[in-house]
Amino acid sequence: MTSLALAGIGKSYGRKVVLADVSHTFAPGLTLITGASGAGKSTLLRLIATAEKPTRGTLSWNEAKLPGARARLRRVLGYAPQAVDLPEDLTAREFAMHIAALKGLSLAGADKQFAAITDAIGLHADINNRIASFSGGMRRRLIFAQAMLGEPEVLALDEPTAELDGETARKLGALILDRAKSAIVVMTTHLADELAPHAVATLRVIDGKVG
Amino acid sequence: MSTLAITASSLSTSLARYWRSWGLWVLLLIAPVAARYMVRIDGGGVIIAIDSHLPTMTSAFLGVSLGIVVSTLVLPIGWLYLRSNTTRRQPWQIEENTAASRIAIGLGRFAADCVVMLGMLAALTAAGWFLGWLLIPDQLKLFEITYALWLVAAPSLIGLCALRILFDARPMLRSGFGDFLYFVLWIASIAVPAAMAGKPASLAANMLDFAGFVTPLQYGAPGEVGDFVISIGGVPVEPGFIQLDVMAGLASPGYIESRLLWIVIAVALVVLAGLIYHPHRVRRRAMSARWLAALTQPGAPPRANPNAPPARHAMAGALNLVIAEFRLIGSGRVFLAFAASVVALSYFADFRMIGSPAALLVLIFSLSAHAGRSEARGLLALTRMAWFSPMARRAAFVVAGAGWTTLLALPALARAPALETLATAASTGAIAAAVASSLATLSGSGFAPRLVLLVLWYGYSSYSG
Repeated sequence: MTSLALAGIGKSYGRKVVLADVSHTFAPGLTLITGASGAGKSTLLRLIATAEKPTRGTLSWNEAKLPGARARLRRVLGYAPQAVDLPEDLTAREFAMHIAALKGLSLAGADKQFAAITDAIGLHADINNRIASFSGGMRRRLIFAQAMLGEPEVLALDEPTAELDGETARKLGALILDRAKSAIVVMTTHLADELAPHAVATLRVIDGKVG
Repeated sequence: MSTLAITASSLSTSLARYWRSWGLWVLLLIAPVAARYMVRIDGGGVIIAIDSHLPTMTSAFLGVSLGIVVSTLVLPIGWLYLRSNTTRRQPWQIEENTAASRIAIGLGRFAADCVVMLGMLAALTAAGWFLGWLLIPDQLKLFEITYALWLVAAPSLIGLCALRILFDARPMLRSGFGDFLYFVLWIASIAVPAAMAGKPASLAANMLDFAGFVTPLQYGAPGEVGDFVISIGGVPVEPGFIQLDVMAGLASPGYIESRLLWIVIAVALVVLAGLIYHPHRVRRRAMSARWLAALTQPGAPPRANPNAPPARHAMAGALNLVIAEFRLIGSGRVFLAFAASVVALSYFADFRMIGSPAALLVLIFSLSAHAGRSEARGLLALTRMAWFSPMARRAAFVVAGAGWTTLLALPALARAPALETLATAASTGAIAAAVASSLATLSGSGFAPRLVLLVLWYGYSSYSG
């Protein structure tokens, strides 16, 4: 069974300790990360998504430790950060196909999957438009859609439903839960109450410590 | 994972973005238009003189002259375009978490940059043919213009593209320090070929000539190597022309090999960039540099008073705006440390040649940084609704810039009071701030002002008049 494990993970910036001694093993299913603003939720997610290196402790993918196993983890990773410097002058579809190429996916297959995902979250009509014309909510959905490309075994989502209306957020939630049937999905969200019944675990981050 | 697919995707997306940017069309126009004014048969424009004599205009010499346009004008402008324009924003937050090879991504972007730069060179070549038809209709040889221009300019432009990729690989080189370093390299690329003077033609000697235009002049001139002086720029010339065999200079031992070797080095630099690539992450400060960390800390915030009343309108709003701009330009302890050094220097050293250039050099970075921040699109949308319009803020910024250079000149004024010193100090600050503000308004970032101001600073600090 696939597993992603944190053992004594900590993260500091200079003297400021953001996360201290976090240990947890993620199994397939949805894991929610909750906590107040600035508690360290996004930092924890970035560590899981290999976007940051821990200051101490180890991260393991299928029992192989990082950084040795980082490339293997990245091959099966889908990551939707909160903020992305999106290339404004590309269309959503061109951008998604570029990310698909970086992920090593078949472009024809990725194009079909991207159409299906964007159709499910109400973005399909705009995928040939330039990102410059997108609203905040459309950008959020685009970032989510690129993370879903392929069949990511680990899906790290940072507040994917922020800036979305209730109906669209529910559509995204359905796709996330569907993916969580076979993948490790780790997600920070302020909608924890709605998704908690479907989650295999909820990690609450308080002042850099996980409760 | 297909490395080729990643390279192809990086190439095609970069090209698509370039194709859709209006800056591309400006870039394609700049070199041909500049060539029309810089290359003249009568010695007007930029003068190239051998022992104070103008060379006879031939097709090959025209090609080399256009190559000089590339070295003096296009290398800094091309850097500006590649680094600040359309492909500056990359979705690194996602890209860096894929398993894609950084070498493959870099090669794709490098290839796209090369297509753009060589496209510009093609436009310059067409302009060169037109100039040749105007200047030397009887001796027009399209091949010689093209051959000389591409042999001189193409390797340096490809080198420029490689440096852009290399400077995107490390955090420090992505910052303003990278722009400053490029500026130094560009000046060095023009100055270093002087070391070739008097040396016989060889691969080693030609490798010093990255810009590529000294060799055809030096080894194409009559007489022995080292018998003559090559001058480029606003130099006085004597009557009479000198005959140059530029084609012989281009065929001198080691020259073509050196141009090809520069292209190989450029590709190697792109591969190196992929190998040493460091992600965009928050860096931990090294324990050994605690004093530096302490210096760059913003300090403790002022004590909060929960009963503080709402802020009232200022009595003199415009003055308040100037003071706010003045403080924002001078924010940060590093700036203040440098400013203190300049103040000390200003008291002891010559103001025009040392004090004023030093003050401007320190201010260039803070002016361009603050101008870039203020002109960010999102912030501009917010400040447009403020009591003072963005234009009023820009005016305050210029006044504050003049204020800073005047403040830094006070020790020089105390030592030797002179109206000229005061006028120089105030006007240089105002001009630098106006340039920074205008370019930041146009580009929406602090990058273009920084590079242009560095080029202008070089001219100001070198000119003693």
